[in-house]
Amino acid sequence: MYKELNPILLSQLRLAIMSYLMVVQEADFNTLKAKTDASSGNLSIQIAKLQESGYVEVIKTYKNNYPLTVCKITADGTEAFEAFYRALKEYFGGPDTGK
Amino acid sequence: MQEEEKVLNPQESLRVIRETIDLAKNSLRENGFHFLLWGWLVVAACIAHYYVLTVLQEPKAALVWLGMIVIGLPAALLYERRHERKRAVPNQVGKWYGRVWLGFGISMFVAIFLCMANGLSPIPFILVLVGFAIFVSGSLLHFKPLLLGAAAAWAAAASCAFLTMNEQLLAMSIAMVLGYLLPGYLLNAKVAARHV
Repeated sequence: MYKELNPILLSQLRLAIMSYLMVVQEADFNTLKAKTDASSGNLSIQIAKLQESGYVEVIKTYKNNYPLTVCKITADGTEAFEAFYRALKEYFGGPDTGK
Repeated sequence: MQEEEKVLNPQESLRVIRETIDLAKNSLRENGFHFLLWGWLVVAACIAHYYVLTVLQEPKAALVWLGMIVIGLPAALLYERRHERKRAVPNQVGKWYGRVWLGFGISMFVAIFLCMANGLSPIPFILVLVGFAIFVSGSLLHFKPLLLGAAAAWAAAASCAFLTMNEQLLAMSIAMVLGYLLPGYLLNAKVAARHV
């Protein structure tokens, strides 16, 4: 029924991660965990799926000697999100749907 | 949000996008502190300058601005340093926000220098720059009170064409109340409401 919509973004958590990253561009794992209210395990799995799809880049680094995982939206990710949003607007049949 | 991967329908997708984007935008709004700090300092400096100039008739009244910088700059830097520790990763909008205000600060000092060299009042030029910086901030944060504050700063700048230097100080203090203090308090109220 919703064939035209990108299945990677039709997951609640993956879509939340991508929506958040569309605004802030990059965020660390704990911020994403707090903002999406997800469990660490589920968040890791969904980030890995987004990474496999090339929508996010995962950078492992250190801050104050503590490991820090940073997720950054890629150009492909931005394009996929915009296409997904356009498809949603078309689905509801109006350019104003998103506002 | 959920343990299992939930497949969404289009309606739910739109809701998730809206809610998450609102949340992300809100996290960029915790900048009320700087508007309040500089708002109060500039208002105090304007009124002190006006008082010293008109009542005490002291020609070196402009020195009150030095006091504003001596208090404001360390307070702002200290706040940023403490805040930076909490912020693991600076985001792109946050970075641009910082650059706009850095550019504003540099432009303001150049404008003040040029005005002093040419015997002009720097106030209208500062207000034009303030209006521009508030306008860009308001656009980045999607926060309407800042856009209205920018309009107030520009209007105050234009009104300086008809005001004496002393009156311009009062126009600037009004612009600061509308452009810095009011949006600053509204930003903080929004953040506080979100944490309840």
